[in-house]
Amino acid sequence: MANSSAVAVPAHTAPSLASIRVPLWAWALLAVAVFALYFVSQENGALLSAPAAEMLHELTHDARHALGVPCH
Amino acid sequence: MINFGSVLRRGLEAGVAAGLASALVIWLFVEPVIRKALVIEERRGASGGHGGHAGHSALFTVPAAPGHVPAHGGDLVTRTQQVVGGAVTSMLVGIAFGVIFAVVFAKARHRLAPHSDFWRSMVLAAIGFGAVTLLPAIVIPANPPAVGDPATVTQRTWLYVLALLLGVAIALTVPMLDRLLARRGFLDGARWSVDVLVTVLAVVAVVVVLPGSPDSVPEDVPAALLWDFRVASLAQLATMWVVLGAVFGLLMERSTGASARTADTAGERELTSVGA
Repeated sequence: MANSSAVAVPAHTAPSLASIRVPLWAWALLAVAVFALYFVSQENGALLSAPAAEMLHELTHDARHALGVPCH
Repeated sequence: MINFGSVLRRGLEAGVAAGLASALVIWLFVEPVIRKALVIEERRGASGGHGGHAGHSALFTVPAAPGHVPAHGGDLVTRTQQVVGGAVTSMLVGIAFGVIFAVVFAKARHRLAPHSDFWRSMVLAAIGFGAVTLLPAIVIPANPPAVGDPATVTQRTWLYVLALLLGVAIALTVPMLDRLLARRGFLDGARWSVDVLVTVLAVVAVVVVLPGSPDSVPEDVPAALLWDFRVASLAQLATMWVVLGAVFGLLMERSTGASARTADTAGERELTSVGA
């Protein structure tokens, strides 16, 4: 019976669950997400041309203030 | 074993929900304060005082046209576009957080203490809020328009990033310490006490050691406006984390719920075999 085996395995010593295998591409995707966060919150001309960066800054302006990232 | 792709899909869905919720909070609570701050900026421009922001970027400056009030956005975008742009931005931020959350959750799931995926997700969201939102917000609080010297923006940005990285470092180090203490045979109560004490000391050390913002708040910005803005900013970020954690947790429960509930009562080993 399943119940008898449960008694033999105290919850706090067993690894709590089968872990989820994270493939390598997931870490690449995480890096892309971090880059996207940089882009919308901090990009001010390091990667874009000055007019494009200023346009981006103005469009994301209110959210940058709300998110608390130093804006200007 | 749960497929990572399905976890990622839930992360994206939860991220969309979190982005929508935070856009709503920005619209309801942050925008009214921004409007008040923009009035202050315009008054400055009209009285020839600080002259608003001639250029407000770390890396380039835009000269103000003579005789023109350089209000926010200038001629480049309208206020409406800025408000819509802010909502779109918070959506993108929510989705990016959803992706990162899914990856970290998948990696950390077996180490998160609660017995249901909902509470595991909520615990991870609480840790994320503390590490990457609250700690940077205490070191260098959010400011409305009309506050912030463009000349110091690079320094403030580094301070913000440093606080965020130290928050993540604390969030990674304390669980490692916890496992070390567990291996040494510490009792649960003693171990958790050490965890809390180390966390508090580390956070205090970060706040004390890192310098504050180099800017002083201009005299024409009322303290109440600053406070309202910072509370609204934290409300928006807290909303994003809570919705992210709750929606992701509920979506995880829905898939694993049926098998997990029976397995949880039958014991952890049972669940492992079901999941595998």
